[in-house]
Amino acid sequence: MFKKKVTLKILLLLVASDILETAIHFFFKKGALAQGEFSVVDLSSAIVFLKAVSSSPFLWAGLLTVVAVFVIWSTILSKIDLSVAVPIASFSYILVPVVSVICLHEQISILRWTGILFILTGVILVSLSSGERAEQKK
Amino acid sequence: MRAGLLITLFMISLTSLCDTINQLFLKSAIDSLNFGGKFNFARIFKFIFRLLIKPRVWLSFVFSVISLCIWLLVLSRADLNFAFSADSMHYIFIALASRFILKERFSSLRWLGTGLIVVGIIFVSLN
Repeated sequence: MFKKKVTLKILLLLVASDILETAIHFFFKKGALAQGEFSVVDLSSAIVFLKAVSSSPFLWAGLLTVVAVFVIWSTILSKIDLSVAVPIASFSYILVPVVSVICLHEQISILRWTGILFILTGVILVSLSSGERAEQKK
Repeated sequence: MRAGLLITLFMISLTSLCDTINQLFLKSAIDSLNFGGKFNFARIFKFIFRLLIKPRVWLSFVFSVISLCIWLLVLSRADLNFAFSADSMHYIFIALASRFILKERFSSLRWLGTGLIVVGIIFVSLN
């Protein structure tokens, strides 16, 4: 029942989901940035901000990408075990910071990269443990 | 600056919390339907339809919209690389919720992984 073999097709789907996942966050960030200098201090300014963002094409591009990732991810999970899929898909923990540096000109210190690597390792371990439980059940 | 960081972290933990609640409602709705066995389009459509008429699924949808709204507010004030990394906090909430609400059993590997995520978030925030 537990499928572990990663075929080329599944690998391509996983890479696509990584890239699209990164695109979602890029689009949302762009949507928020498009509002320019906007300081949200209380609830009413938050509502004004959200109204403005909701008319941004970036937000809708992001939401469409969410749907696309959902479809791709469901396809992946129907073919392969979660404990195998998540470690490959969590490549976006690296991809998002890289895109942030290249496209959004953010700066990332060595300390932060170290933190990101810790998080990535943690995510991989957590997802591997779901496979471990499945093995025990079998 | 410090206070700003704390507010941002607080908002990120709110989105993560909303995400966790959303996952719990969805999980409980899906579990209550007992979907197993063969996959085919007719069954999947029927499953989705039965899912959509559950109030819990709509609650979960409401929470994901709230989560998105707070997330956009976070992005208006924080760098994407920081916000995205810190958002992995939902792993911690989901671990706690699965352990104490769903009473799932955990392996030591899973605790280790969750611990590493905690350390990672601290490092990422230390800037």
